[in-house]
Amino acid sequence: MADEMQLNNISENNFEQCLKCSICTAYCPVSGVSPLYPGPKQSGPDGERYRLKDPKFFNEALKMCLNCKRCEVACPNGVNVGDIIQKARMKYYTGKPKLRDMMLANTDFVGSMATIVAPIANFALGLGVSKAVMDTVMAIDKHRTFPSYAATKFESWFKKHAAAEQDKYSKHVSFFHGCYVNYNYPQLGKDLVKVMNACGYGVHLLDKEKCCGTALIANGLYGQAKKQGETNMESMRQAIAKGRTVVTTSSTCTFTMRDEYHHLLDMETGDVREHLTLATRFLFQLIDEGKLKLAFRDDYKKRVAYHTACHMERMGWVVYSTQLLKMIPGLDLVMLDSQCCGISGTYGFKKENYETSQKIGEPLFKAIAEANVEAVSTDCETCKWQIEMSTGVPVLNPISIIADALDVEKTIELNKNRIIVLRN
Amino acid sequence: MKFNTVVMGGGLTGLTCGIALAKAGQRVAVVATGQSSLLFASGSLDLLGYDAQGAPVANPVEAIKTLPESHPYNKVGDVEALAAEAQALLAEAGVKTTGQATANHNRLTPIGAVKPTWLSLDGYLTIDGDKLPYNKVALMNVIGYLDFPTKFIADGLRQMGADVEIKPITLPELNEARKSPTEMRATNIAKVLGNEDIVLRLAAEINAKAGDAEAILLPAVLGIKEDVLAQLLKKQVSKPMHYVATIPPSVPGARMQALLRKRFEALGGTFLNGDKVVAGELAGDTLKSVETEKLVGTKLEAENYVLATGSFMGRGLVSDYEKVYEPVFGLDVDYIAERPEWTHDNVFEAQPYMEFGVKTDAQLHVMKDGNVINNVYAAGQVLSGNNKVKLASGEGVDMLTALAVAKNILK
Repeated sequence: MADEMQLNNISENNFEQCLKCSICTAYCPVSGVSPLYPGPKQSGPDGERYRLKDPKFFNEALKMCLNCKRCEVACPNGVNVGDIIQKARMKYYTGKPKLRDMMLANTDFVGSMATIVAPIANFALGLGVSKAVMDTVMAIDKHRTFPSYAATKFESWFKKHAAAEQDKYSKHVSFFHGCYVNYNYPQLGKDLVKVMNACGYGVHLLDKEKCCGTALIANGLYGQAKKQGETNMESMRQAIAKGRTVVTTSSTCTFTMRDEYHHLLDMETGDVREHLTLATRFLFQLIDEGKLKLAFRDDYKKRVAYHTACHMERMGWVVYSTQLLKMIPGLDLVMLDSQCCGISGTYGFKKENYETSQKIGEPLFKAIAEANVEAVSTDCETCKWQIEMSTGVPVLNPISIIADALDVEKTIELNKNRIIVLRN
Repeated sequence: MKFNTVVMGGGLTGLTCGIALAKAGQRVAVVATGQSSLLFASGSLDLLGYDAQGAPVANPVEAIKTLPESHPYNKVGDVEALAAEAQALLAEAGVKTTGQATANHNRLTPIGAVKPTWLSLDGYLTIDGDKLPYNKVALMNVIGYLDFPTKFIADGLRQMGADVEIKPITLPELNEARKSPTEMRATNIAKVLGNEDIVLRLAAEINAKAGDAEAILLPAVLGIKEDVLAQLLKKQVSKPMHYVATIPPSVPGARMQALLRKRFEALGGTFLNGDKVVAGELAGDTLKSVETEKLVGTKLEAENYVLATGSFMGRGLVSDYEKVYEPVFGLDVDYIAERPEWTHDNVFEAQPYMEFGVKTDAQLHVMKDGNVINNVYAAGQVLSGNNKVKLASGEGVDMLTALAVAKNILK
C-alpha cells in the first residue's frame, strides 16, 4: 500500500520532485539577461501547478525559453523543467506561427529552393538591401549572416560521386545528414564518408530523409514536425532492419529524434533510439571495444577549443567527441566552460531576440577570444554560425577534424590487419 | 572507457577527491548528477563547530579527538595535516580562504546568527569572538533582492554592539532586472553585475551611500564564475567592505563549483556533467565496471571507485516507508530499523536520520552483505556517523574523507 502510493505519485516529467531550490534559474541562459522571462522554475514546475488547475494561467512569455535544457542538466532532482515548459507551449498556446517563423522553420523547403539558385540566393542574402528588407518586413535581424547555400546538395554529390563505391565495404552505416549538411555545408558530409570509408564502413543515405523537425517544434509547427518525424522513423527502421546503425553529425538532430520525438511529440521511438547515434560516439565505442583503430598524420598540428552545445550537454555525450579528438596526437584541445552560445537554432535569427541572443553568448565569445586557438570544435551547426559570426574564429565539427587529421592509408591498413588477426 | 579512478558525485567531496588523484597523475572521471549542494554553500567551510554535547568548539583539531568512535573523522588520519591540504587544494583552484583548523572563527549566517566555522572565503565578514571590529556599519542591499533578510542581519549585528544602518542601493541595470521580481535571486544579480563597468558604477553607488559608517556589508551577489569582480568592487569601495552570506542559490557556492571543476579539468580530469552511475558489475569483492544513464553501451572501467553521492538531498541515500538504502549498488547502510526512531518530534533536536549512511571499514572501503568491497571507497555525506547540522562539520567531513580516500587509493 505504502509502496504503491509512492509509485503512483510520480508525475510526468518528475514535476512533483521540484524542491523549489532555484538552481535551474542559476544556469538558465535567458534568465538574468532578459528580465521579461519568468525563468525556468516559474515557467516550469511553479507555473505548471496553476496551469493544471486552469489553462488561462499559461503565459506567452514561455516563448522566450530557448529549449536548451540546461535547467534539466542542472536540476539536482531530475525534474524535466525544459520539457514541462515546451509541453505547456504545445498544449496551451493558441497563436498561429508568423510567415517568418514558418520560413525559418521549414529548413527543408527553403533549403531545396535556395540550393537551386544558390549563387543568387547567397548574393541576395548578403546584400544590405535584402538584409534591410528581411529586417523590417520579415523581422529577421539584419546583423545576422545567413549560412550560405551550397550550389550542389550533399545528396546530389553523394549520388554522383560516392554512392556506387559504398557496397564494396563489408560493414555499413546509414547517414542522417540533416539540412545543414545537405544545403549549407556538404563538406561535413564528405568528411563523414571519408572517415567511415577509411574505417571500413560503407555509407548509405536513408530511403527518405526529412528535416528532423527541431525548428518546426521551436516555431509551433508540431503537426508537421510529427509527420516528418514519422517519415524519418520509418526510414531509420528500414536501415536498422538491414543491420545498419544510423549515424549523424549534428547533436541537435540526434537529440530531437532520440528524445524530443518521444517526450514532446509522443512518438514511439524505443526500437530506434539505441540504433541512432552521433558518428563520434559510434567511432569511439568501436575503438573502446577494440574493434577499430585510427591512425593520424604525423604532420597534423592544431590548437582547438571544444564548445559544448546545449543538447550535447543534455545527452551527456561530450565525452565521446572529446575523447575521440584527444586521440589525435597533434591536436591541442582546450575545454571551454560549458555555456549556451545564444543562437538556439532559429531563435537568434529573429529580430526581437537578436540582442538577447548576443548577450547570452558574450561570455563564450570572450572565452574563445582568450583561448588563443586556430579553431573551435562543436557538434552543433547553429552554434557554428553563431560563433563564426560573433568571433570570426572558424568552427569545425569533430568529424571534420578527424577527417583532416586522419592518415587514411594507415587506418585502412591497421584495420585490415586487425581482421586477419581476429580471424587467426 | 578506462580510468584509474571513477568518482561518483561532482560536489565538494567528489571534486576534492578527483583533483587530489588527478594531481597525482591519475586518469580520473567524475560523474556528476545535476548541480550539487555547493549551490547551497554559505561561503564558509565547517570542520567542527560544536562538540557531541552541543558546546561551541574553539579548536576543532583538539575537539575532534573527543568525537565518538563511529565518526568518520576517526578514519582520516592526521586531521590537522589534511585540513591544511584541503585549504591548499582550494587555493590552487582559485578559492582563497582565511582560517585555520586549530582555531575556529565566527561567521554571520544569512539570518543574522553567529556560528563558529573553520574557513571563510576571502572578502567575507569574519568575527573573532563575539564582537565586530567596527562600531558603525552600513548594511547595504540591492533593492528588490528578497533573499537577504536585512532586519534579522542588522539585529544580529546590533547584538554584537554595532550601530547598524540599512541602506538600499541600486543601478539602472538592477532596476531593469526587477521587471521579473521572482528572478531577483543572488545568481541572477551576479549575472547582471557581470562586467567591470557596472561594478565600477556599483562602487560609486556604495561610496555615495556609505555615510559615516566605518565599514560596508554587502550580500554575496558578485562573481558567479570567478572572484575577479568581487575583488575589484572591494578595492573600489573607499571603506572596508565585507560580503555576507545570502539565502541560496549561493553565488560563492556556484563559483566554488565552477573553479573546482575547472581545476579538475585542467589537471586532465573528465567531468561527466548531468549523468549518473546506475549500475555496476561486481565480481566477488571487486567492482569491475560501472554503467551510467547517458553512456549506454559504454562501461566505465577503473581500478578504484569512489562513492561521493551525498546524503538524502544528493540522493546518495534514499528512504521509503520501511528502509534506508544506497540506490546504486545496494551497499550496507547503518540506520535504525524502527521507522518512528528516524526522526525527533522537535525539529530543532539532533535528528537521528542525519547520522544514517553507508558502512565502511577503517580505510573507508564500502561493504555489501557484510563483505568489504576492496576497490570501492566512500567519502563525504554518504558516510554514516556524522550529523553535519548538529556538529557543524559538513565541509570538513567532505574534504578530509575525500583526501583520505585519495591517499588510500594512491598507497
